[in-house]
Amino acid sequence: MKALLIDDERLARNELRRLLAVAGDIEIVGEAANPAQAREQMAKLQPDLLFLDVQMPGESGLEFLESLEPPVPHVIFTTAYDEFAVKAFEFNALDYLLKPVDPARLAGALEKLRDRGPGGSAERAAAPVPERLSPDDKVFVREGDRCWFVEVKSIRLLESEGNYTRVHFDDAQPQLFRSLNAMEARLDPKTFFRANRRQMINLQWIDKIEPWFSGGLLVELKGGAKVELSRRQAQDFRERMSL
Amino acid sequence: MRVYVVCQLVGWGVFFGMQLAVTLVFSSIREEPPVQPLWVDTAYLVQVAAIGLLLTHVSRRYIERAGWKAKGSLALMPRVLALACVVSLAWNCIGFGLQFGVFDYPAPKKYPLPLLFGVSLVNGAILLIGWYCVYFFYQLFDRFNRLEIERLRLANVVKETELRALKSQVNPHFMFNSLNSVRALIDEDPSRAREAVTQLANLLRYSLQSGQMETVPFEDELAVVNDYLALEQVRHEERLRLRLDVAPETLRLPVPPMVLQTLVENAIKYGIASRPEGGEVAIRARLDEQKLILTVTNPGKLSRAANSSSSQASTGLGLSNADARLRLLFGEEATLHLYQAEHDTVAAEARLPLRPADSDHLAPAPTERPRRPSPALAKPLATRS
Repeated sequence: MKALLIDDERLARNELRRLLAVAGDIEIVGEAANPAQAREQMAKLQPDLLFLDVQMPGESGLEFLESLEPPVPHVIFTTAYDEFAVKAFEFNALDYLLKPVDPARLAGALEKLRDRGPGGSAERAAAPVPERLSPDDKVFVREGDRCWFVEVKSIRLLESEGNYTRVHFDDAQPQLFRSLNAMEARLDPKTFFRANRRQMINLQWIDKIEPWFSGGLLVELKGGAKVELSRRQAQDFRERMSL
Repeated sequence: MRVYVVCQLVGWGVFFGMQLAVTLVFSSIREEPPVQPLWVDTAYLVQVAAIGLLLTHVSRRYIERAGWKAKGSLALMPRVLALACVVSLAWNCIGFGLQFGVFDYPAPKKYPLPLLFGVSLVNGAILLIGWYCVYFFYQLFDRFNRLEIERLRLANVVKETELRALKSQVNPHFMFNSLNSVRALIDEDPSRAREAVTQLANLLRYSLQSGQMETVPFEDELAVVNDYLALEQVRHEERLRLRLDVAPETLRLPVPPMVLQTLVENAIKYGIASRPEGGEVAIRARLDEQKLILTVTNPGKLSRAANSSSSQASTGLGLSNADARLRLLFGEEATLHLYQAEHDTVAAEARLPLRPADSDHLAPAPTERPRRPSPALAKPLATRS
């Protein structure tokens, strides 16, 4: 697995390097001292795994992650002491390590990662045009002091809110820092259907379909959300479903 | 307000009661039959008390408007006297006017009317002076109470700050990052690692003890700041550049513990840690017009510190705590403020007035002081690499 170390302190990166030396399957392909460098390195090196310091100059680790074009690689956060971040990580079961890093905890985090399988961005994102996201890919979403890695397949509904998109999954609906049009371009048209100007639905999550006024349709999603389709969209929708 | 209403009603009630009692006693010992029935006298007294109440109420509003409450007792005395005379005149004019002009009382036979008017005028003035004295005494008492409450509140702030200071003087984020750096140094540069452990120990010890001390000599504070900066340089390396400019005569002056430390920590948090390119932190200590002036500058913009990302956002707590502590220890003349010194430089400046006893510390240092060598002179903090 190709790993990129992102931390503003050289000594902290060196220490992590030393700790990771015992893990045979982790290859450290690069280091970055701030988010700007990290972006360059990511484009060049296509890592599968980021070790990401939360507190960095200019931009926090979370802000950096939020700005990345999905899919995001695996991420293990590192922080010296940040009560808010740690609370957020624990709440969402994200992987994080407290500095100075306990070797046993690091081994545990890597073990969990191996169980989860490859992060998968490496060779795919090398394509000049960003590919469509696969159902297992993850999108990083943050709202206030909570953050999530959302698997694309667990997204039921996306709603446009100006330059942002509200993403509905599990029992949360945070805002994503991207427009719905931009998301539509990245999502698989076989799974996601643009129901109307404001909404996009995941076809896997459809529960019920009812005829609606003047040839339209009313689609009910698992979890309760109802989405209206106009006649024209309903036509598209029928064609799609019959395929 | 409620106190005022109650006092007015009770006061004038008592006044009325006493006058009535006097009238009753006089009429009972008088041999000749009364000139007028008792109820006429009573009505007359009610009217006198009512006008008195009204006039004192009006004059109270005048006192409040004219700002007499803020005046000293010397300025107040002639004013109260004059006011009492004027109000007494008004009171008597109305009273006598009503009695003899409107209601047509029979003129008194025993004494001429002008004499009665004069005596009544003096009586009224004395009574009113009494009223104003009570009023201003109450104001004084009230102000004293308020000051006492304010003092208790401030004392409470001190306790709170002390407690908070005890809990969070060494920023945990800094401490764990330093420990992490030290662990890396153990392999890379063992002698530097040993040094760093010593510095961290000094810093921890000082911050644990500082809660119990009101002031420390500035050189002790500076020594700890130097240890702290050395540790920050281990972390930030070439991103943190330092400049130290400390006037030797400031070294013996007493300062509240952690005052410079707080400023320097802030400077690093907002000026270095948040900027990828880092920058220079400059510390300056000098004596100017009987004030110790500590200035710490760092690169950056003031507004930036206020609205940067949430993880680095300022709570303003650190500096406002330090400011409260300074004021309590050194009085209102002590100040701490942040300002945009240059286009891209923020300065934090603490001004500590010397207390009279402090000037002893300005005398040449006695030789027998077995202190740690002055760090500013012993170890110039050049950029480590």
